[in-house]
Amino acid sequence: MGAASVKSFGYLIDSVRALGTSMRQVFRPVNTVQFPDVIRPRAERYRASFALLHDEEGDELCIGCLQCERICPSQVIAIKAAGKRESPITGKKRGYADDFTLDMSACIFCELCVQVCPTDAIVMTREQDPPAYSREDLVLTMDKLYANEKSKTRSWGDATKLMGMQEAPKAPKAHAPAAVAATVGAAAPAAAESAPATKPSEAAPGSASSDPTRAPEGQVPPAPPAAPDAGAAS
Amino acid sequence: MQVQTITRRVDPHLAIDLYDPEAELLLLHFGPQHPSTHGVFRMDLYLDGEIVVKVVPYVGYLHRAVEKLCEKLTYAQITPVVDKNDYVAPMTNEQAINMAFEALLGIEVPRRARWIRTIFAEMQRIASHLLWLGTFALDMGGALGGGSTVFLHCFRERELILDLFEDVTGARFHYNTHTVGGNRHDIPAGWSAKVKAALDVIASRLPEYASMTLENRIFIERTRGVGILDGELALELGVTGPILRASGVDHDLRRDAPFHAYDEVKVNVVTRSAGDCLARAQVRLGEIEESIRLVRAMIDGIPEGIINAGRPIKQPAQFKIPAGQVYVGIETPRGELGTYVIADGTANAHRLKIRPPSLHALSALPHILPGATVSDAVVILGSLDPIMGEADR
Repeated sequence: MGAASVKSFGYLIDSVRALGTSMRQVFRPVNTVQFPDVIRPRAERYRASFALLHDEEGDELCIGCLQCERICPSQVIAIKAAGKRESPITGKKRGYADDFTLDMSACIFCELCVQVCPTDAIVMTREQDPPAYSREDLVLTMDKLYANEKSKTRSWGDATKLMGMQEAPKAPKAHAPAAVAATVGAAAPAAAESAPATKPSEAAPGSASSDPTRAPEGQVPPAPPAAPDAGAAS
Repeated sequence: MQVQTITRRVDPHLAIDLYDPEAELLLLHFGPQHPSTHGVFRMDLYLDGEIVVKVVPYVGYLHRAVEKLCEKLTYAQITPVVDKNDYVAPMTNEQAINMAFEALLGIEVPRRARWIRTIFAEMQRIASHLLWLGTFALDMGGALGGGSTVFLHCFRERELILDLFEDVTGARFHYNTHTVGGNRHDIPAGWSAKVKAALDVIASRLPEYASMTLENRIFIERTRGVGILDGELALELGVTGPILRASGVDHDLRRDAPFHAYDEVKVNVVTRSAGDCLARAQVRLGEIEESIRLVRAMIDGIPEGIINAGRPIKQPAQFKIPAGQVYVGIETPRGELGTYVIADGTANAHRLKIRPPSLHALSALPHILPGATVSDAVVILGSLDPIMGEADR
């Protein structure tokens, strides 16, 4: 009887503590918003839908080069290239796309099409498309894509910016190659010293191409820490 | 529900002493649509009364032939596809697959990119463990004050991390932020301050989680001594990650085979020896704390420099990887995620194999479930933190 009452007393203390936790929440700011009325600000780089752009003179930027169609992992982009013809605005001969469709029902929003565009023609928007009642409505036709240019907020990224971010350093240019060289120099002896620990990103490249039979089992673990690794890998 | 009599026979997964051969066993189909199976996972439970006698797990309900798809796609297109494997920790999927390609190409990833990858991986670990804690509490059901309290609290904090990822990559889940040779997105200005603020919030609420779970009498009673997994058995089954560390095996690839920038920071590996569900919860909560410490230590020291060793791939068919094969394993929130690639010199992999930690964790079920009650079966399954997207892939 005594033990049972001690246990019950413990539960009573826990209940009081639980109430304390609940009460603390009362004084915290509300975390949710009433969605359709209040829309949270999206990040600058948020990607939700697509738009095709015009240049300053009002000419279509897309030249129908099919780069985005080729890199799309889910193959949702279908372009009918028109070949070269005279621009109605500048009169210069350049490529055009006759038709451009993007199937949003299968798009995985990977941003690769934006990244590869040579003319910054396709960009992503921060606003989503409205819900659709049929699958056909989910297909962004060329008209819809050009309409999105005006009706939706553009996402931060376009091909120039995305490529630039990966190619050029943000820091002064003289600084970056030095930093990389220092990294390579510093990492090589470190990898040699800690060879038993098999750092995949560094130790593997040398052996990977020269020894095609390299497999997790073929790697003789010289140190005890590698033993569970080999067991787990098989 | 159907009643089925199974005859006494030699079966390694059958705990023969537990059941009365005269009694009828009840065959209970658990899943694939059960909310506590964390996806579409089915197991057949053979019950003697309320005690589970035998378990037959079935995987494959979420099979999407990702490995085959990866062999058909070019290397440049694979990253956004493997995002969907472990949909609770997509960052680490991308990292694993790109590290395998980088190893084959012999590319040295720039130091800045490695630091960013490390920070991403640790933040993803926090988010993944928070989601696990929330759903695990939900698995406990009404005993934890509805369970949804912990669930909503964890999701509230997880949102902070997803917002931070959204700032960098533009997506909340399927980031596609890694590429062969580095990262696609550099961190924007002012991001570090936001990270620190979010981590402060999460760190300040960790004691609250602990008081709701690890120090909660009901939670302890439901998890202590439940689903004990022996360390040696875990090693034999290939179980890795927090489950292995909760079984007393001190194994963490972040420390034992450092990738990214883990050779430049010291990872304190959290281990417990009990091997039960409580130990797994303790390990995961400890890892959240450790990840917060790691990110805080690294966020101010991100080196300057480039984030991509090569140029971004424009022509996927022109991007070829020389013939060879490589296995790269990294420590994800769930354990060792391995990628084995056989390249044949073309733009497509000849064979690509993904070793998901969740599948190996699930393989422990037939060994640790017999002897538990049905209600404990839910808890044990939840404590393994399986993600069917990567187990079935």
